[in-house]
Amino acid sequence: MLLKTLGITLIIAGCGSWGLLGARRIDKRVAQIKDLRMALGFLEKEITYIHTPLSRALERTARFCGTPVSCLFTESSKGLEAREGITAGEAWMKGLQALKNNAELKAADLDILSTAALQLGMSDVGEQKKFFSLIQEELQIQEEKALQEVESGRKLWAYGGFIVGAMIVLLLL
Amino acid sequence: MVVFEDHSIKNKIISYLSPAIKDMLAGLTDEHLLRLEEIRLRSNQPILLKIGDKDYSVDNKGCFIENLEKGYRVKDEDIYRTIASISDNSLYAFEEEIKRGFITIPGGNRVGLAGQIVMKGNDIKTIKDFSSICFRVAREIKNCAQPLIPYICLPSSSMVMNTLIISPPRCGKTTVLRDIARILSSGSDLFPPRNVVVVDERSELAGSYRGVPQLNVGPRTDVLDACPKAQGMVMAVRSLSPQVIIADEIGRRGDVDAIQECVNAGVSVITSIHAGNLDEVNKRPVIKDLLTLGAFKVGVVLSRRNGPGTLEEIIRWD
Repeated sequence: MLLKTLGITLIIAGCGSWGLLGARRIDKRVAQIKDLRMALGFLEKEITYIHTPLSRALERTARFCGTPVSCLFTESSKGLEAREGITAGEAWMKGLQALKNNAELKAADLDILSTAALQLGMSDVGEQKKFFSLIQEELQIQEEKALQEVESGRKLWAYGGFIVGAMIVLLLL
Repeated sequence: MVVFEDHSIKNKIISYLSPAIKDMLAGLTDEHLLRLEEIRLRSNQPILLKIGDKDYSVDNKGCFIENLEKGYRVKDEDIYRTIASISDNSLYAFEEEIKRGFITIPGGNRVGLAGQIVMKGNDIKTIKDFSSICFRVAREIKNCAQPLIPYICLPSSSMVMNTLIISPPRCGKTTVLRDIARILSSGSDLFPPRNVVVVDERSELAGSYRGVPQLNVGPRTDVLDACPKAQGMVMAVRSLSPQVIIADEIGRRGDVDAIQECVNAGVSVITSIHAGNLDEVNKRPVIKDLLTLGAFKVGVVLSRRNGPGTLEEIIRWD
């Protein structure tokens, strides 16, 4: 009986924790998109006002923002600093891969960021401004969508985890 | 003439090329590098190396060939990667340079750009969709102007003679002007050093990169980089108290007016003009007026007969 009770507790606690983690991931996604928007704003200023060379601008942006968003800029900057014939687009995609591995972003968020690979650094100030504005607006929309998901999704994940745990227990009994 | 620095071409120019082309050019010998004048990348055309007066190419295996048709055909990707490398992936930081059609890279070498020109009103806004790139090797030939110095700095006069260098393109007038700047700025046992201002409209004389001269123009030389000649000469007289002003390739009415202003202010002017000989100079009304007024005291005619910088004639207008 004691073993059974322990098993039930473990299953419900495990599934509940999984659900709570899922709910936390939704919260994190909103914060990370917001961080990304701010970091891109910083990068935009470095490029359009100070004309900082891209590798240094990325490095400075990495220092400006927190983890895990900083890994996008750190990895991109490292790629360019190595000066092995790598283009800004290739370095950016490398950074994006690192971000994907460390952040809670969805594919749609990463798709928006990947469009930057086509433009980053390789046009005049006016064009850079336009593309940074566009990308930040698109991220703003993603952030609003993510916020809406938070309300419904957080409850779904948090309660869902315990409910799934309870159902598994019922099935096993 | 003694040529310096050419072993650094590999680092200062070839390192900027796309990785595919960089590998192909790895086999260039020192002899080739010593005489290399240009590397031209044109989209879908064979890569072209101007060595002395001849054009060469390299094939896919990196073999040096004279038959250009068998040369490696430059891909759009090569152009893109090379532009990315030259600009440090930051074209936005080179807007002014791109408007002027070239970027100067560390070492003072110039990279000419061609592609689709974007206009804003009557002005060039930028170049996009680059289709060709031309690397021009900046040659620093120390003491190449030494034979001219006795004519420019007369022992009997404390002034430097106002001098016009007459030369067709690619005959070494920029190299000679640069060396004159260095020699006058350094001084010697025979003449004192002078304050020199180089008005470098096309960033060729001093090869400035981000405003800092990359080529030796002497210790007492101020460089007004990318500055229009006429405005630069007047600005220099007012603000930098020069004894000598050096500028390349005059030709416009504004240049002539500025030279007259400098000469009247007691500042010596050494400059150059595109022409084969004095007769051709006299066919240009604007410059002819200047010569008639006696603005220049010495004329130097250069050619390429025995290689760039061949001294053909010294003209005195005393």
